[in-house]
Parts: sequence; C-alpha cells; structure tokens
Amino acid sequence: MIAHQVSVFLENKPGRLEKITAVLKEQQLNIRAMTLSTSTAGWGILNLLADQPERACQVLTAAGHPAALREIVVVKMTDAPGTLHDMLLLLAKAGLNVQNAYGTVLGDQRSAILVIDVEDAESVQQIFSEAGVETLSTEQVYRI
Amino acid sequence: MYWEPEIEQLPLARLQQLQLERLHKTIECAGRSPFYQQQFASGGVAVEQLRHIDDIRSLPFTTKDDLRSHFPYGFLADPKDGPVRLHCSSGTTGNPTVIFHNQHDLASWANLVARSLYCAGVRPTDVFQNICGYGLFTGGLGFQYGAEHLGALVIPAAAGNSRRQIKLMQDFATTAVHTIPSYLLRLHSVFTELGIDPRRDTDLRLFVIGAEPHSEGQRRRIEELFGVSAYNSYGLSEMNGPGVAFECQQQNGLHIWEDCFVVEIIDQETLEPLPDGEFGELVLTTLDRQAMPLLRYRTRDLTRILPEPCPCGRTHRRLDRITGRSDDMLILKGCNIFPMQIEKVLMRFAEVGSDYLIVVENRNGSDEMQIQVEVQKEWFTGNMEALENLSRKISHEVRDEILVTPAICLVEPGSLPKSEGKAVRVQDLRKPQESV
Ligand SMILES: [Zn+2]
Repeated sequence: MIAHQVSVFLENKPGRLEKITAVLKEQQLNIRAMTLSTSTAGWGILNLLADQPERACQVLTAAGHPAALREIVVVKMTDAPGTLHDMLLLLAKAGLNVQNAYGTVLGDQRSAILVIDVEDAESVQQIFSEAGVETLSTEQVYRI
Repeated sequence: MYWEPEIEQLPLARLQQLQLERLHKTIECAGRSPFYQQQFASGGVAVEQLRHIDDIRSLPFTTKDDLRSHFPYGFLADPKDGPVRLHCSSGTTGNPTVIFHNQHDLASWANLVARSLYCAGVRPTDVFQNICGYGLFTGGLGFQYGAEHLGALVIPAAAGNSRRQIKLMQDFATTAVHTIPSYLLRLHSVFTELGIDPRRDTDLRLFVIGAEPHSEGQRRRIEELFGVSAYNSYGLSEMNGPGVAFECQQQNGLHIWEDCFVVEIIDQETLEPLPDGEFGELVLTTLDRQAMPLLRYRTRDLTRILPEPCPCGRTHRRLDRITGRSDDMLILKGCNIFPMQIEKVLMRFAEVGSDYLIVVENRNGSDEMQIQVEVQKEWFTGNMEALENLSRKISHEVRDEILVTPAICLVEPGSLPKSEGKAVRVQDLRKPQESV
C-alpha cells in the first residue's frame, strides 16, 4: 500500500495558509508535518502529512482549494552519517526524480522520518526494499 | 423559422428604402431635442438632401461624451408624448448616460428581442430563465419583455445565488437561459459541488450569452460543459439594450436588425466609412425610437460586417464577434492589444479557468504585463514542475499572439475580482485609478 500526502495550491499572500489550516481544524483533521514549496511567481504548493489524507483532500477541494493526493514513500532516518545521501543516490541511479522531500520528527521525539514525494512511489519502495532501507507502512505513516 | 418572415427576408433595395423613410422621420423627431436642435441649427441638416441611406454620412456623429454632457434631458425629443421608462448606465466616471423610452419604443424593443430570441431558436414552449441584473441594467427588463412577447414562460431569476438558480432550473424544467458567459463557468462549478450534472439532470438546451466580450473558445467550453447550444447576443443600452444584433442557428456572426438600425463601420483615426469586411468602430443610428433618437452614435465597439449572405436566408447583414471596446485596447511597448486576444490563448489550456486579469504597470520605466489565471481544481495534481511548465507555455503562446511576453501568475480559483457581477479583465496601473 502506498501512503499519500495532500498537496494544496495556494497564493503567497497573508492569510492564505490560515484559510487552509482553518478548514482542517474545523473538520478535526490532524496535520503531522507540513512544507511549503514556493515558486518565484507568487504561488506555492503546500504539502501536508495528515492522519486522514483522503478526507483532508476532499474537504479542502469542497472548500474551493485545488488539492490533490500525491504518493509518498516514508523512511526512518538513522543517526549514521551519509544515510540521506545514500538513499538519494539510489533513486538518482534508478533515474527517479524526487519532487520534494522533507523530514519530521516522530511523536516519540527520538526518531526522524523522511517523506519523499516522487512520481512513481511503487518503484521507489521496491528499490529501497532491495537495498535494505526500511520504509514505513501506510498505517505507520498515518499514525505517526 | 422566422419571427417576422417578411421583414427578416426583405430584399436589400427595399430594406434600404425602408431605412431612408425611417431616417427622415427619425431626424425630424430628433430635431425636437435640445441637443439635436442646436446641432442642426449650427450645421444645417437638409433632410431633403438625404436621398440614399448612404447619405447619412453627411450627418455629424454623436458620442458618449455628448450624452454625458447633456445629462439628463438634453436628448429627450418628446417630453409631451410621455417617456414611460428610463435606463441609466452605472457611470463610474463623471455623469452617467440615460436613455428614455416611450410606449412605442418599449413595444418596438420587446419585438426586436423576441425576433432575436426566435432567430436563435427560442420558442413559445421554452421556459426561459433570465439570469441577469434587473433594474437600471437593460438585460433584465429587456429580455423579460422580449421573451414574454415571444410567448415563452419567463423566470425573472435576476443575478446571483447560484444554488437558487439551479433549484429554479430543476423546479420549472428550464430549457433556455440568458446570462453573461463568465457567470456560466462559475455556475458550472456550483453544479459540480452539488453533484448535479447539467447535461443529464436538467432540461437545458439553449443559452443566450452576451454583455461581455468573449472568445469562440469560451462559447465552445460553455456548450461542452452544459450540453447546450449557446448563441451570442449584442446590444448596448444606448441602442435600447439587448436585441440589436443576434446570432442565428448558423452561429456565425450576428444579424443586425437593419430595419431598426443604420449600421456603419468607420476607421477610428480618419472617421471615414469602411467597406464590408474591414474592421473598425461600429456606428449606429436608431430608426424606430421616438423618445430619444440617436444619430450616428459611436459605440466604441470594434467589429466588422461579414460580407457574405447568411445561409439562414435573413437579408439583414451580420456583425462579426465584437473584438473589444476601443476603451479596452491596451498599448504596450508599441503593440495594440485586446484582452480578447489573450482570452483566446488562455482558452486552449484546460488547466486554467476562464477568468483572468491582465495587470499592466510601469516598472522602472518599462511597461510590464502580468496575467493572473486561476488554477482549475479538476486539473491540479500537486506537481510543482508541471505548474511551472504550464506558466511558461502560456506565456510563450500569449507572446506569439500579442508580441509582448507576459508574466503568468497562477491564483486560487474564485480569487479574481468581479465588478457588478461582470468579470474585471484589465487593471491598467499606469493610468490614474478610476474608482469602481
Ligand atoms: Zn443567419
């Protein structure tokens, strides 16, 4: 099973981000992690790791925001130096283009995870499992 | 297939004869208004010297500034034979313009709208929902009386409240709708939100769209979304409102009712008449209005007359789609640009909505254009690179059309400004701001 994040289009203007978080709060949806990628032309894409991505996407769309579910692969980060580099190298070798990647700390405050947004999550998962890199299951991701 | 078969198929020579007779009467009538009285006295208009309808070229033009500076009663020709209604423009700058109608004028107008609607295919069996502002705006009462005169069941739905509009369509099985094109695209998104498919779940079959310049691409998109045929309507309040020119079922140009209007196309620079087929400013003369006749009124709308006869058999000539209002033309880096040219390009991209805003400003001595377009919810994938490529592609295609490279700014759906329900297309920040 492939996990999903919610990607939302938004303008870089005061109050726009709050409009989105207000919708999620009203529906009692939890955001686990969030990154904002901005373009130079005054807009950006907000990536949300939510506990119920399908529902989050649905309520945001209904509230008029362009929102989409995107496949992600989530891996546990270890403390060993160079692990991130090694992982990204694996993907680059396979010719897989990483759209976005962001890290967050788990609820236990001890381990960090890396969320990778790629076009073909299934292939990434396969490459990682062949290389012995542990990926989180969908349940683990949503219950972070 | 004709509302008035004889008039609509009148051979050219007889149509011109009728125009000449009516022009004589109109000049006589106009001469009773303070404005024309003064103009005729100083210029010396000899009615007997108008022997052919083309001799109308000897008369001076009337402009919007004339209407404004003689507000409110300067053009009223017959204060005794009572005007019974007025329509007034919003007048965001200076005096508004006002048009008066007596009972004859209103009956004539209603008949022209009925003829126009019939020409597009509206029949007495239709349920006609009129989605536009009533009150001072001519589209409300104009279509109301016209569609009633035709015999359709008319719902005076007025503007706004999309959910109620959809409810009305369902409750009364609306078959025909008149509204502005930009509203239909917004209405469609409400249909989608409610989970109602207008193609399947309504009886809609025919739309009349007007009052807002729009491209052929926008019309086709509307037809596709709703599963209807959409016909263009052209009118302006100075010439009553709707019912001046209308598309027939060929959807190829708008028949302008020449028994009631004299049509001229002039070169905007030289003010000389242009032959059929050439683009210029549309100049109109009323031929059947008594309370407030207007002679050679410069509409500031740019179009041309389609020279070929129409297969539908109507002899009244056709106007091409209105390219824009001369006031809308932007001059940027020496290029003349109409918003319609930009809209035509945007319509090729399903990923962006139909609303757009062109912002022109001067940055460090150079005029720059930015086009704001709305990201379509249905096409959004969350892929940043795809959106950046889309912006670049739009920018290139617009540049190929207008020779100026615009910056493309993607915005959230529904965030572009609207003014009185109509879409605002241009913000020229180089000029002192008008208060809207
Ligand atoms: Zn025709």
